[in-house]
Amino acid sequence: MDHEMVAAQKMTERYLLDELAPAARDEFEEHYFNCAECAADVQAGALLIERIRDGAIRGPDVQVAPVPPVRPTPPAWLAWLRPAFIVPVMATLLAVIGYQNLVTYPRLTRQLNSPQVLAWAPLNLNTYGSEGPTITAQPGQPFLLFVRTPPGGPYSSYTAELYNPAGKLEWSLAFAIPASSQEDRLPLQVPGANREAGRYKLVVRGITASGESKDIGDTSFELQIQK
Amino acid sequence: MQFHSFDESYLSRLREADFLTQEHFRKYFTALMKMKLQFRLKSAEAIDDVQQETFVRFYAALREGKIRQPKSLGSYVNSICNNVLKETWRPEPTISLDDDEAPELPSAPVDLSKILDDRQAAQKVQEVIEQLPERDRRVLRDIFFEERDKDEVCRELGITRDNLRLLLHRAKQRFKHLYDKGDDSRRLISA
Repeated sequence: MDHEMVAAQKMTERYLLDELAPAARDEFEEHYFNCAECAADVQAGALLIERIRDGAIRGPDVQVAPVPPVRPTPPAWLAWLRPAFIVPVMATLLAVIGYQNLVTYPRLTRQLNSPQVLAWAPLNLNTYGSEGPTITAQPGQPFLLFVRTPPGGPYSSYTAELYNPAGKLEWSLAFAIPASSQEDRLPLQVPGANREAGRYKLVVRGITASGESKDIGDTSFELQIQK
Repeated sequence: MQFHSFDESYLSRLREADFLTQEHFRKYFTALMKMKLQFRLKSAEAIDDVQQETFVRFYAALREGKIRQPKSLGSYVNSICNNVLKETWRPEPTISLDDDEAPELPSAPVDLSKILDDRQAAQKVQEVIEQLPERDRRVLRDIFFEERDKDEVCRELGITRDNLRLLLHRAKQRFKHLYDKGDDSRRLISA
């Protein structure tokens, strides 16, 4: 048995796989005891097989599942930026903005630019024994109060305050009456907010040049909302 | 891989009991005899016995001047090993662990150099195995670890016996290549 024939016929592999008949096996052993190259070849294969027999190749049943990469957790205060939350919120905001721009603002603009007849009532301060006038207004529509103030007085400006039926202050308005004015009635427009029906109270105060405030008088009126 | 031939100088050093030469001789032929004997003997003790007896007879023949052809040194060792095997090989008795009358055997001495060599080899083998394609790993595992029938494995994976030899050949060549990249002390049974 020569080396060329051994290599060509893969005798080493046949030997390691125990495929050789006893006579051929003896003959091959006789060869590799005298051939350093074949001896090293057999030893390499034998070491490989020995390790495999010791369990160097893991079976598919014991393979470790790949560990998914750990994603860094965002800070809690950024939780609201999660797509599951922020996308529907943004969609809702867009819908609201769209409704305001396409429906609400044009309607308000039309109302402001259109002539209209407002409900109104004359008011006299300090009229004892009177329940005051009744005003019937459309829901959400403003109305006018013609307030008569006592002429003269050392006041450089005035404030008018409106209290709702529950006694809470709804708004306060500062205004001045020019000394040259001949009118004793002051027209006040009350904004058309969603005001509830009931008795409202109007209080007028005078402010002196030194900044001192003094009650001039008050009055009330009944507001009715037309349905 | 180093090629060498046993020459007259080598044989002289063996006769003169040169330590390094004797160590090389022992390692070289221990490895070869182990591969040969693994096909015939099951236990490591039996293999070791045959190896030791072979070396005893070889050195006796060397002292008696019976070994004169250095180029036939390998054949001579192989012949002695075959003879020892024929003389001593018989069915190995099964020793029961429950047998109270069984003789107490001393533990085998620990060969540190062997352990280191084994670890280096194991590491290299592992590197080779991890580079093999999945199918090749499965074939080798089924045959050598699971000890399944080779024909059955080949049939199952759609390969021939020639493919199987080629597969083993490639794995072995990779191992040799990887191993030979190391230093001389780690070369496979070299001279």
